[in-house]
Amino acid sequence: MIFDVAAQSLASQPVLVPLEQLLGDCTGSRMPEVVADRLNLELASRAAAVCSAQALRLEERDGFRQLLLDYGKCTGCGRCIVAGGGAVRAAASGVPCGVARTALLRRWNIDTGTEIAPEDAALDSAGKQIRSLLGRALNIRQVDAGSCNGCEAEIGALTSPYYDLERFGIHFVASPKHADMLLVTGPVTRNMEEALRHTYEATPSPRLAVAVGACGCSGGIFQGSYAVSGAVDTVIPVDAYIPGCPPTPAMLLTGILKVLLGK
Amino acid sequence: MSALIRSSRSSSGIPEALALLRAGNSRLVSIFGSIDDYGALRAHYLLDVDRREYRLFTGHIFGALPSVTDIVPAAAWYERELHDLYGVAIEDHPNLQPLVFHEGWPEGVHPRPGLLNAPPLREYRFLKVEGEGVCEVPVGPVHAGIIEPGHFRFSVVGDTVLHLELRHFYTHKGVEALMEGRQVPDGTMLAESVSGDNSFAHAVAYCQAVENAFGISVPPRGRALRLIGLELERILAHIGDFGALCGDVAFSVPAAYTARLKESLLRASARVTGTRFWRGLCRPGGMHRDLPSEGLLSLAECVAETARDFAELAQKCLDTPSVQNRFESTGILQRNEARALCVVGPVARASGLRTDVRRDHPYGHYRTVTVEVPSHSIGDVMARARIRTEETAISARLIAQAIAEMPSGAVAVSVPWQADAEGFSAVESPRGELLYYLRVREGRIRRCHIKSPSFQNWPALPLAMPGNIIADFPLINKSFNLSYSGCDR
Repeated sequence: MIFDVAAQSLASQPVLVPLEQLLGDCTGSRMPEVVADRLNLELASRAAAVCSAQALRLEERDGFRQLLLDYGKCTGCGRCIVAGGGAVRAAASGVPCGVARTALLRRWNIDTGTEIAPEDAALDSAGKQIRSLLGRALNIRQVDAGSCNGCEAEIGALTSPYYDLERFGIHFVASPKHADMLLVTGPVTRNMEEALRHTYEATPSPRLAVAVGACGCSGGIFQGSYAVSGAVDTVIPVDAYIPGCPPTPAMLLTGILKVLLGK
Repeated sequence: MSALIRSSRSSSGIPEALALLRAGNSRLVSIFGSIDDYGALRAHYLLDVDRREYRLFTGHIFGALPSVTDIVPAAAWYERELHDLYGVAIEDHPNLQPLVFHEGWPEGVHPRPGLLNAPPLREYRFLKVEGEGVCEVPVGPVHAGIIEPGHFRFSVVGDTVLHLELRHFYTHKGVEALMEGRQVPDGTMLAESVSGDNSFAHAVAYCQAVENAFGISVPPRGRALRLIGLELERILAHIGDFGALCGDVAFSVPAAYTARLKESLLRASARVTGTRFWRGLCRPGGMHRDLPSEGLLSLAECVAETARDFAELAQKCLDTPSVQNRFESTGILQRNEARALCVVGPVARASGLRTDVRRDHPYGHYRTVTVEVPSHSIGDVMARARIRTEETAISARLIAQAIAEMPSGAVAVSVPWQADAEGFSAVESPRGELLYYLRVREGRIRRCHIKSPSFQNWPALPLAMPGNIIADFPLINKSFNLSYSGCDR
């Protein structure tokens, strides 16, 4: 009966995860990170050779060899961690979320074993405008533009009692007309391209568009298919990117808050 | 896995399949196309004969293919897909409309542009329901919740639905074509992204097809680990679906509570395996890595506790009169309708068809355990909710048993995949029978067909709608809980 259900729920222990434990956390995401001081040419070559997503690759630039890791393409298959012999490991934190596309790229100088400082890529002004208008309250319209539904499973988990997105004043709304932010998963398929464009047009300005997941950020493993148009930013303007396959709820929350609060 | 019996005489393959379907003791599992080593077009009919063996019938296509939709309504979408993806003309199809390609699809873009015996269809016409007071309500592809895209066209009088027509394939990503040309081990990652919430079932089905093709047997510990992953995925799906059903009748406390139960299992998975959805763990030949015994024990504890908690909650919900009022007699799929459309999985079992791949065609570790298969006869939302509740308990017992009797030893063997082979595999995914057919040439995938339970079950949803009010559609749709991406691929 209805009160028995309420009683069972009230008898349970609270599970809410404190914000400090969520920000920047990416355990369980299978995203890799490079251990700079263990890096050498042999390990870097081996790790890059097994990456079928071409997220990890060797490049020669400015006269030295560098290892480039594009989180926007990484599907977390874990092969580079096995092949990288200690120079690549599973990341527990620090994967960039809610940033510009160029900031999803990290580079290491293989000869010196040091990370090359990323280019400064500030987000545009829509975030500031929404902040000044609304404070922290944010309405999100989620749009699946062709994903495998892995991202949807994780976005759905944001409203669970563990993460409780609404405690920050952030809500998922039913119409783009009520939204400040579109959270778009991809890859954008040919059959969804037009619907995505209409949804973006129906969202009032100022508006933010955030591309979610490897497929949303880069087309992911579906890039090149006859049925796929490409990454979300090939169809609508995108303000920020959240990588992952799929991104964990903590990564999504980190990204959304970063876009909203600008830090 | 029960062996796949091939009928390879290409002149008689198709007539034999059609004769068996006409005889009525075979269930249509899939129809799909392929191109043989000499560039000729073929059709494959996969049947489950007497629920004992899967049989594959193959034949070359000369001219048009006769439609079998009038005998087996379940063939309708398969034939339309064959028309769209392989340009095969279908003779006497009762509703030959574009399935895969929509109006905005660019001219000349096609997976197999060289073939096209039949030109692609462009225009799609919805059935026009006419009469006094009949209105059309279009819904989607962009929906109100955090769900996948698809289009539903309702014809209603007042609140009452007269007719529902589906238009899907918005998430068509061309996965089967993307598989082609890849090296065999690289197919697993694509399989995991066919339907993200069933990624482990897809990974296992793909890997089993490879193992079947190359005659490889996975070591016992690898098989047991796969069972744990598969049953955990089923528990997650069923608990999530039950919660969503509660949410759709505005019973938000159990909806939140099940979200919490589900998340506790995902977090336990992340702690033990390093991945929330068991992605990247399965590989042809077994598992990528072993899971530590103490981790498995803690997972067993978490599963047992969650299952107990859920059983208690579900019972209380289903005893609540306002829930009964909304669930009972809503969205009925009759047994004969389910049978005609060869419906699979929990939806079939709620409509009186006691079918389950784990029991009918056991594979892997399921060959050594007994799987109870519950069924209900009414076929309403309540029956589907009960099936999910009962199956959660059964899955939890299977996990407990597998962990208690965990075999020791290796979790994988190597697969000599750089050769020619043909293989096939069926898995009972949380949504029902999932099937991979694979043909390999010199270690590269030549053809990979994925038959997902959602492709099979979507056409049954419109049969459960007439007479219901449109406000009950989210509830009925959720009780089927089909994957759009899994269907569209």
